[in-house]
Amino acid sequence: MLTIDNLHAKVGDKEILKGLSLTVNPGEVHAIMGPNGAGKSTLGHILAGREGYECTEGSVTFDGQNLLELETEARAAAGVFLGFQYPVEIPGVSNMYFLKAALNAQRKRRGESEIEATDFLAFVRQQIKKVGIEPAMLQRGVNEGFSGGEKKRNEILQMLVLQPKLMVLDETDSGLDIDALKMVSDGINAMRSPERSVVLVTHYQRLLDYVKPDFVHVLARGRIVKSGGPDFALELEERGYGWLDAA
Amino acid sequence: MSASLAYLQVWQQLPEALRAQRDAVWRHFEQHGFPRVSEEDWRYTDLSALNDADYAADASVSITTPAALAGWQRLVFCNGERIEGAVQAPQATLADDGITALNAALCRDGLNLHVGRGQQSAPLHLLTLDSGRTMSHLRHRVVLEAGSEATLLIDTRGDDSATLTTSVLEVEIGANAHLRLLRIQDIGTSATDLSRTQIRVARDARVEYVGLDLGGALVRHDLNVQLAEPGAQAQVHGVFAPSGRSHVDTHTRILHQAPHTTSREIYRGLVGGRAHAVFNGRIVVEKAAQKTDSEQNLASLLLSPGAEINAKPELEIYADDVKCAHGATCGQLDDMAIYYLRSRGLDADTARNLLLFAFAHDVLAHVIDDAARQEMERRLASRLPGSAAYEGLMEGLIA
Repeated sequence: MLTIDNLHAKVGDKEILKGLSLTVNPGEVHAIMGPNGAGKSTLGHILAGREGYECTEGSVTFDGQNLLELETEARAAAGVFLGFQYPVEIPGVSNMYFLKAALNAQRKRRGESEIEATDFLAFVRQQIKKVGIEPAMLQRGVNEGFSGGEKKRNEILQMLVLQPKLMVLDETDSGLDIDALKMVSDGINAMRSPERSVVLVTHYQRLLDYVKPDFVHVLARGRIVKSGGPDFALELEERGYGWLDAA
Repeated sequence: MSASLAYLQVWQQLPEALRAQRDAVWRHFEQHGFPRVSEEDWRYTDLSALNDADYAADASVSITTPAALAGWQRLVFCNGERIEGAVQAPQATLADDGITALNAALCRDGLNLHVGRGQQSAPLHLLTLDSGRTMSHLRHRVVLEAGSEATLLIDTRGDDSATLTTSVLEVEIGANAHLRLLRIQDIGTSATDLSRTQIRVARDARVEYVGLDLGGALVRHDLNVQLAEPGAQAQVHGVFAPSGRSHVDTHTRILHQAPHTTSREIYRGLVGGRAHAVFNGRIVVEKAAQKTDSEQNLASLLLSPGAEINAKPELEIYADDVKCAHGATCGQLDDMAIYYLRSRGLDADTARNLLLFAFAHDVLAHVIDDAARQEMERRLASRLPGSAAYEGLMEGLIA
């Protein structure tokens, strides 16, 4: 599904990713851990297509196409979803309008018909239950005045509505209390399927108790320095990342 | 200083009796002429071109009257004269500067609305259409007696001609009465519109104003609200969205003269192209106006490198027990917000337009009447870039 090969990328003049390679097959869940400043968030933004994030070497292939050639919105329509570490507040645009406009924009780009308003409402009402969002929040501005936990749950709601193929979740678990973490995890698990893949960027092993990864990687100094199975996360939690520097 | 020939010609065409009646205001205009940039309130708006301007007395009208708003009565003025609706024109009283004096001297028609005690008048759409190289001067007077209620939309449009429009609206809101006043200013790119709105609010009465100023070669609106008696309230909200080479100047002045008076003012500016916006919002709390509660908030977005804004909030407080808050910001659209919307599938233009519209909608959301609000939304959308992207956008937009 996703093949990242020897990716070098810079933000402004600063090179952040220095030869990162990663392969994600359909149905797999990958966790990426690592120290602050290693390039974890940069990876997410490079995949989503943020302006000012420039690939200088290497390649990213998604479903057989060169992902880096696509506009941000085309990547979304192709099935790439980035759960933001810091979701943006959009005052004056209701959550409901936003969800509908985003889904229809994606469908239109894929040559699908727009979704019926009543069908959509029923569909969204089902999805909000999974992440514990009150119906009234759909009428509020996107993330406007939401708590940190509400913003993260709102990211998961968008993911549930948009039904992407590749979900890159950037620290979606940070700052959540246990109940909210469970809801977020349930949302992610609900999306797991043999056709979909997940990349979890996280600092904390805790999330991986609820969303079992197939692979755990350590991203440090701009590249994957070590990979392992699910138990590798426990070892990292215990030993930290310092020993990897020495290695 | 002598006024240009164009104004003199119109003056001389007025009936003798009318000229005798208006002699004082005409002489005021002859003496003072238009305000000059050397005056602090006119620093950024230069009217000197009006001194040499040339206008025809009459011109054929090329504008068609648009469809009426559902549930609204309508009064239509074209080049200074009524073409639809029937009411008596008011006497001009206010004439305290060159513009209001010229208007008082040359006006031929206007609205004279009197709402009796405890009455509720049907919403009234006052539409002004100007066309051709003409000038029009309208004088409106609105009196709400105690406990009455009225809704009025002042809507000024024009074609591409270099018209000059002046209008003066004098409003008296009696005790416990309530006026909803809306303005849409949407004249052509060569036209000049100078207007004054003067509102006196009595005890426990309130005015709720929402304005939308979209452009014109030169637009100036002076909006003065006098909270004259205890418990008087004012909501003064507006959007200005000039584009192209428009110059739009809004001066608001809210005068707190009595205790327990309240004012809320929110303005949003979207300035594009090589347009120039001027906003001056003055709030004066007089010594007697203890327990005044006043908030003012102004935010503007500059949409292109050639766009310019001069925004100045002014707060003058002479009482010592008051609550006043004000803030002013000016910036650009948030790149992160655009990226966020795009990452969910909206294209860049739609994302940008959605953010612009939402920004201005903060103000338009205060319009209670659905027909009027939708009209204002539609007119704003038509002036923003990529208006096609707004199809169906308004529904459910209000957060």
